[in-house]
Amino acid sequence: MSALARCSSCLPRSASTTRHGSILSRSLATEASAGPSTTQLAPAPGKIKSHETIGISIVVNRSPFLTRIPSRFERAFHAYQQRIERALHNPFPYEFYFKQGSLLETKFRAEERKRERMTLGAPFGTIEPQTSAESKAQSARESAVEALDREEEEIIPRRGKADEINDVRSLDRKGERNLYLLLLKKSNSEQVWRFPEGSLQKGELLHESAERNLLKECGVVMDTWVVSRNPIGLYKSSSAGGTSLSRLFFYKAHIMAGQVRPDGSNVLDYAWLTKQEMEERLDKEYWHGVQDMLSDF
Amino acid sequence: MSFPILPQRSIKPTLRKCQTSVRYAGRTAPAGDPRHEILRRTLYPSNLRNKSTPTGTWRSDVGRALQHAIPSVQAHETIERAWLLHQRHVRRQRDSELKRKFEKMKEAMDELEKLDKHLYFEANRQEDPRARSTKEVELTKTLKGSERKAMEARIRGLFPRELRVPTDTPPRTGWNYDWKPTGPASTP
Repeated sequence: MSALARCSSCLPRSASTTRHGSILSRSLATEASAGPSTTQLAPAPGKIKSHETIGISIVVNRSPFLTRIPSRFERAFHAYQQRIERALHNPFPYEFYFKQGSLLETKFRAEERKRERMTLGAPFGTIEPQTSAESKAQSARESAVEALDREEEEIIPRRGKADEINDVRSLDRKGERNLYLLLLKKSNSEQVWRFPEGSLQKGELLHESAERNLLKECGVVMDTWVVSRNPIGLYKSSSAGGTSLSRLFFYKAHIMAGQVRPDGSNVLDYAWLTKQEMEERLDKEYWHGVQDMLSDF
Repeated sequence: MSFPILPQRSIKPTLRKCQTSVRYAGRTAPAGDPRHEILRRTLYPSNLRNKSTPTGTWRSDVGRALQHAIPSVQAHETIERAWLLHQRHVRRQRDSELKRKFEKMKEAMDELEKLDKHLYFEANRQEDPRARSTKEVELTKTLKGSERKAMEARIRGLFPRELRVPTDTPPRTGWNYDWKPTGPASTP
């Protein structure tokens, strides 16, 4: 854009100019701050009205709330390493930690025997032969221990109702995966699935515009957080008409609570989808522009 | 794992014996208070090196357990190599995904630079999480109570507390669909 007038200190583009806060030559991923940027570049006079061609789109991500299950090979390897570790490690000094003959000690020894049997296999972890008096006392203690253990905590299953019926509007579905928000919009008597988007107002910064557009398109009853001031990607629509936005800058946001509330006029429906599920709903060109910004899993 | 597998007939493996000056014998408990003995045994385990244990406290059936755990030297090495290969695949996939994302970011920023210098500068600016603009300071003076807490909680440039760490099972209450914003919607 050579039509822009540059301030005089912008011109020498050497690798070490940091005096007035020019970050033009620094790499984008750097974390080192070169001091407070107290002076600002004045917006150059006579700039091309870029806010008319720029659009802002937001990729809202619901991060996974469940841990991943390791693959079969990983589980087998972990089991193998556990066997080796159990064979090699020091015997646990349980007589130091538990009082001799107490219920807790009996419970611990029973659990330890069970763990031994599960890790190493049948000949290990069986009860050593005892005298009859000892074995009676032992069995009495163990039944007392079992009486303690009657009440158990209820475990919530990982796959809930939303997974069973595959409700794409639900935020409880697919806990292990990253879900992204898509909105069903009507454009010229056609319905398209797109990310929430909007235009840039005059004098507004990109990330501020992202927040504003997100609230406008999806309602205010969502607890969202736009991650950074930088866009994560760009989509240039080749078939742009005169008035439609030619460049879409994408911003990443996270949702922590709440749900989308479409206003019904422009936005008809919404869905929280994984990357693979999105492919079939989006237009091919849009999908190719967008897919590299999203997490695979 | 440098310990060689014991064959069926017991051959003493050649381990270096490290000699210490203070030697703690493992002795049987006297009839009186066992607490002293237990403490002593835990804090000062027997370090007499007349048996084949480096620290003196392996389990009694260590040879049998190890033979049961490891099928053979070749099998162990194959498993090790398979694991390292698997880790390499996982690492490659993760790195390529990050690379793709970074390329997209770079492309967007390059385009923005060409498009509008002011927006580009503002997008690149590093934020000081402690700094507050004058507008925000005035806003905090007008707010009270929970609204003020909500505003002070979300600090620009830091991760919010509500980003949940993944767990093995879902939360008991599930997703909170009934969230309501407190006070002024967004911070400037």
